[in-house]
Amino acid sequence: MVVSAAARPGFGARWRAEPAFAVALTLLWLLLAFFILYPIVALVARVFIDQGQFTSATIVKVLTDRNQVAAFRNSLLLGTLVGVGGTVLGFGFAFAATRCRLPPTVVRLIDIAVLLPLVSPPFTTAIGYIFSFGARGLITYDLLGIRNVSVYGLTSTMTAETLTYFPIAYLTLRPMLAAIDSNIEGMALSLGASRWRVFRTVTLPLCTPGLANAFLLLFAASLADFATPLILAGNQFPVLPTQAYLQITGLFDLSGGAALSLVLLMPAFVVFIAQRFWVGRRFYVTVTGKGAGQAPFDSVSPIARVLLVAACVAVTLFIVYLYALLVYASLVRAFGANDTLTLEHYRAVFTEGLRVLFDTLIIAAFATPLGGLYGVVMGYLITRRRFVGRTAMEIVSMIHYALPGTIVGIAYLIAFNDPPIVLTGTAVILVACYVFRYGPTGIRTTMALLQQVDPSLEEASHSLGAGTGTTFRRITLPLVLPAFFAALGVMFIRSMTAISATIFLVSISWTLVTVRILENMTELRLGMAAAFSVIVVIIVFIVIGAIGQVLRLLRTPGSKPATGLLAA
Amino acid sequence: MNTPAPAEAIGVTVAHVSKRFTHAVKGEVHAARDVSLDVAPGEFLTLLGPSGCGKTTTLRMIAGFEMPDEGSIAFGGHDVTRLPANQRGIGFVFQNYALFPHLSVFDNVAYGLAVRGESGSEIGRAVGDVLALVGLAGYERQFPAQMSGGEQQRVALARAIVIHPRVLLFDEPLSNLDARLRVQMRDEIRALQKRLAITAIYVTHDQEEAMAVSDRIAVMNRGSIAEIGTAETLYHSPRSRFVAEFIGRANLVAAQVIAVRDGYVDVAALDRQLAIPRQGSALAAGTRCLLLLRPEAIVLGEPDATSGTLAGTVRTRTFLGEKIEYTIACAGVTLQVVRHSQGVTDAFAPGAAVGVQIARGAGTLVADASQGDSP
Repeated sequence: MVVSAAARPGFGARWRAEPAFAVALTLLWLLLAFFILYPIVALVARVFIDQGQFTSATIVKVLTDRNQVAAFRNSLLLGTLVGVGGTVLGFGFAFAATRCRLPPTVVRLIDIAVLLPLVSPPFTTAIGYIFSFGARGLITYDLLGIRNVSVYGLTSTMTAETLTYFPIAYLTLRPMLAAIDSNIEGMALSLGASRWRVFRTVTLPLCTPGLANAFLLLFAASLADFATPLILAGNQFPVLPTQAYLQITGLFDLSGGAALSLVLLMPAFVVFIAQRFWVGRRFYVTVTGKGAGQAPFDSVSPIARVLLVAACVAVTLFIVYLYALLVYASLVRAFGANDTLTLEHYRAVFTEGLRVLFDTLIIAAFATPLGGLYGVVMGYLITRRRFVGRTAMEIVSMIHYALPGTIVGIAYLIAFNDPPIVLTGTAVILVACYVFRYGPTGIRTTMALLQQVDPSLEEASHSLGAGTGTTFRRITLPLVLPAFFAALGVMFIRSMTAISATIFLVSISWTLVTVRILENMTELRLGMAAAFSVIVVIIVFIVIGAIGQVLRLLRTPGSKPATGLLAA
Repeated sequence: MNTPAPAEAIGVTVAHVSKRFTHAVKGEVHAARDVSLDVAPGEFLTLLGPSGCGKTTTLRMIAGFEMPDEGSIAFGGHDVTRLPANQRGIGFVFQNYALFPHLSVFDNVAYGLAVRGESGSEIGRAVGDVLALVGLAGYERQFPAQMSGGEQQRVALARAIVIHPRVLLFDEPLSNLDARLRVQMRDEIRALQKRLAITAIYVTHDQEEAMAVSDRIAVMNRGSIAEIGTAETLYHSPRSRFVAEFIGRANLVAAQVIAVRDGYVDVAALDRQLAIPRQGSALAAGTRCLLLLRPEAIVLGEPDATSGTLAGTVRTRTFLGEKIEYTIACAGVTLQVVRHSQGVTDAFAPGAAVGVQIARGAGTLVADASQGDSP
């Protein structure tokens, strides 16, 4: 493979000088090759090679099938709409939070409500949406008295996905807006520009790269989202991830599913390239020391502020309402039909559902520390060490993070299903999938943190006589500890809530809460699905709270708070 | 070279202005309390003080970035207290320049003109002129991130003056520059302000910079104005211990008034009776106060037992090129003394005994901090 050949030069000298470094590097490359590159190669091979011969029949069949082409078009349409809608919504929230001089408690409450969709299983909003607008929905059935309503289709899928993913835009745009030196806007104002003109000619242009980035993130998230369309899209609006899933689980056509996921790869790849080479280089905002801390002047007119805050509060309340419906549904005998309060669903969760819960927790318990460690080590090596193949290593490590989960899931299924390596049905495949899919958030956080730390700190340690090992342990490690804990947080949340990749990898012996919730939804055991969701959200919130506490304790007095816990 | 036509200079009046902030940790903070200023048309006034003294808050209120809680601000006699920043006709230069990073130098400077709806050709001419004025002709197509700190500073200056502001406001504009450039830029700013005859208000914590550029200096402390005056007045006859210590280096020696005579006040200080020139209001006999002696007002000589000379011991001696600094132990206190090094062949090495004299006519009496400092 190109990669290992690139890593070889200079290796001998390294090996003698720093055996630990060489061992770590070799081990990481082996892991990357095995868990990231090999599955992708296997996936591509499955589609294009049939009995040792190259074939384009599988992919041609997919590309000429009218249903699948429609699914492709639908995916792009949905992604674009969610990208635009979510970016606008996220920008509105970010602008309100940074420019409207809201009381800190209000911002905090909005933050928590907005984070709900981000830390819940990705289909929770969709379930709440069904409870509200479905055939027996609170609004459609009980309030408006509409019978035979169809909630399924583009509109509801788009709404639910926008609500689920706009927090990503909010979290990327908010620090960006906050980092814009208020003096720059003040300057434009002092030169005679109106508030609207300042917004149009200064604030918005400075945010353009961030807006583009947010759009791409949301587009990718929507493209990859599997759970929301499965619940809300219905038969009339097929999208690629669900089609691929149905191809495999319904028609047992692994090659067809693989081909569909490859079709999904094309737009995902375009997004990845656009982000890396276009948006990434156009950021104007640099965090400057002063200015940013200064109280912003009144940059929003009173009317605009009232309208914006009202809109944000309305959206926030709508999210809270959907989650409240979820809690309510978990506490009544049959939502929409029998409103008798009961704990029966929770009893079911803690009896017949207990094994699933434990399975998920065990997998999370393994994936979380492994993923955190992987993230920190990789982030450190990529940022702080010079070695051949460094950039290649960074790019490879990001592949599964950037790919839609459906592709990764199918790739793992193909790669590890047959001898020589059979991992399907084991916990290992689930843990590996999580580590290499969500570990990169830890890599990112570590890299970001280390880039802020002057290398002279490590040089100072060396100058005082400390060796590489001691320097890493005494200086670097304490500095990256916040990144490690943040990575733990992300790993745990994802291990508890992700579904798109792992739905292909669960088995009789090891299954996941999220998969069980989806099964409950299709079996119309809505109360149990709701109860499961509530439990997952509660567990995730407890763990995030604990990790947040650790991060606060780790924070050196006077330093900036460790951000990015959930941003990734 | 075409200079932007001088706008008619106007005065700025700040009357009894106060501003409170709610700080996350400290609670309510009085950033400015009862600040009053009268800046004459065309005058260069500097707000000088330590960080947190309220000088920037005061400037931001004059600019319209902050609204005062109490008091009023007038430009040329017209009340502007509630007028937003974009209607005041000010030019503002920020410490970090606040250049628009997404716009070229030309577009940065043109921004204020475009806002005013001037024609393209007019803008092109005005921007060209002002860039020539600040020595940046030919830099039009550059972006801020490609420029050095000093060049960015000039762009910020050009952008502020191209709109013919009625008042030019500076918030620590030089503190991000290195020492040599700082001296050069402050001279340029001063020269430009005089040439354009714009009323200027300048904020800095650097007393030397303040003395170099200003017509008058307003020293601020804890949200209030401690004293306003020319650099000479503030240096030679400050009225408070704070101003005495903030501007220049000061020896402050405990003193007690013995008698007030014509033109002189007799005080007991440094174990001697000294005659200090009388300034302003006389202190009554018996009052405890502080005697301010600037380092250059103390004259060193050979030890001498005559009545006017004090006995001292050299503690430290620092050669600084054009001058030599000493610390002298004398009458139970430590005095800072400066001598020009030109022609000096003294042997005042550490440990040596010296005679200490106060230069004739030197010294100022300052109210004691414990009684007379600002509230």
